[in-house]
Amino acid sequence: MEIHEWMIKYTRQTEWIDRRGIFLWIAFYAGGLGGGLYLVSLYFNSLWGMFISWLIIAVLKGSTHLIYLGKPLRAWRIVTRPGSSWLARGLIFVLSFVVFGAVQLAFSYWLPGNPGEVVFKILAGIMAFAVTVYTGFVLNTVKGMPFWNSPLLPVLFVLCGILGGFGLSVVIALNGGSVDIAAAETGSRWLLIINALFIAIYLWRASIREATGKQSVMEQMRGNLAPVFWIGIVILGIIIPVIVAFSSYFAGEVSSGLLVTGVACEIVGGLALRYCVLKAGAYKPLVARAGQQPAVQ
Amino acid sequence: MVIDLTKCVRCYACIAACRIEHFLPMGMSWPRLMALETGDPEPTVSTYSVRCNQCQEAPCIEVCPTGATQQREDGIVWVDQDKCVGCRYCIIACPYQNRIFLSRDKDTGFFPGKDKTDFEKAGKKLYAHEIGTTEKCNFCAERIDAGLAKGLKPGVDREATPACVNTCPARALTFGDLNDPDSEISKLIREKGGFQLHPEYGTDPSIYFIDGKIGYSDTPETEKQTGEKADRIAVER
Repeated sequence: MEIHEWMIKYTRQTEWIDRRGIFLWIAFYAGGLGGGLYLVSLYFNSLWGMFISWLIIAVLKGSTHLIYLGKPLRAWRIVTRPGSSWLARGLIFVLSFVVFGAVQLAFSYWLPGNPGEVVFKILAGIMAFAVTVYTGFVLNTVKGMPFWNSPLLPVLFVLCGILGGFGLSVVIALNGGSVDIAAAETGSRWLLIINALFIAIYLWRASIREATGKQSVMEQMRGNLAPVFWIGIVILGIIIPVIVAFSSYFAGEVSSGLLVTGVACEIVGGLALRYCVLKAGAYKPLVARAGQQPAVQ
Repeated sequence: MVIDLTKCVRCYACIAACRIEHFLPMGMSWPRLMALETGDPEPTVSTYSVRCNQCQEAPCIEVCPTGATQQREDGIVWVDQDKCVGCRYCIIACPYQNRIFLSRDKDTGFFPGKDKTDFEKAGKKLYAHEIGTTEKCNFCAERIDAGLAKGLKPGVDREATPACVNTCPARALTFGDLNDPDSEISKLIREKGGFQLHPEYGTDPSIYFIDGKIGYSDTPETEKQTGEKADRIAVER
């Protein structure tokens, strides 16, 4: 007899992370990173930053999302139900960003200073924020998974996206893009600290909500996900970038190689965070009753 | 539908009937049976027959970005295979984990690597089971419709009743109209204390269980106890 563990134990979701689910993980992260970079680039008025963020969302996020779908040729249907589905809203945000962003880039390149440029910067900026935040709502609406069903998740994803945006801005500044590197580094420093605190708060809140939420947190800290959590999120995503950021603050200047390493670690940390959130999402047992064990046959 | 767990004899007839009725691919099953040992020190095996709960406030409908998952007037939730894009949001959103994505490896045929049998070919004409889409139990909606067209009553006349209910030799499954207080299932729920799974989700499932062995997982005490006993999260489906 087949034993369905998924009904009597805490079971993690598999569809959105295992096998082809890997593409969705990348798509979710690319949306946050691209949106965050666009918002930061708007602040610095960096055309290169805006262009790269547009590429990240239009090409990387768009293609990985399409590859994930079971029927990619029907992808256009996804926009048909924005009234209730965050996935539908998300695709509308992405498509709007791609259109508004392309027009804004054209204005900025060929007709800088034109009122149209300002209008489309505002529109694309709003859509970039929406692209950054919607994946949090996609997960947040899943009632069966206490670890995801948290209002903090969209905020965490926005912070993570903007942090990645600041990091990439530093790289753009090092390559001659019109970004104030000192301001970008300052932004990175603050966001690193805020992000680390927010991750801690998010995990703490998840662990005290329900037993299943606690199980998800424990899975990351002590279970199979521990290497990804401690190495990916904590060491690469927080500790190394913090060391690099504060070295540059106290020493005045650090080598560009070290800064790029810090940014690369930040991005790996962001990917690890999304991975852990998706992988640790667990359902309550369908039939939960203390003392019951699966039959062995 | 009411599932009386005290009557289930673990014969798998409901699963076989569904497979035959819908020509299900070998790698998937809409209804499922689970076995648990209960009682200490002399444990007995209890079985639980589960399938899509046909929730009245179905989260799968709410999250579906294409409108592929729909609800009929009689409350049956079904998937329009022609509209489904295979995003699997519905699978994620279903707190009862009763939806299945039909991937290529789940539809290898009765004899993998060989041509399909005539039976399989006939089945594909009736039920396409499109790879790359999501599927689930639909309470044999096509049987119900055909029966209703003949003036039959679902839950009373076999031709208008789901195949699993018809085939259950122990009469553990009962089908009927939940809105009719005089229907057999309404009486069963009233008299035997039928309950829904995880009512705290607010999904209002249309399947009720009768037993007393299935616990309500939302009570703080069982939640705590279960949490202490929880094994590592792992699932193979």
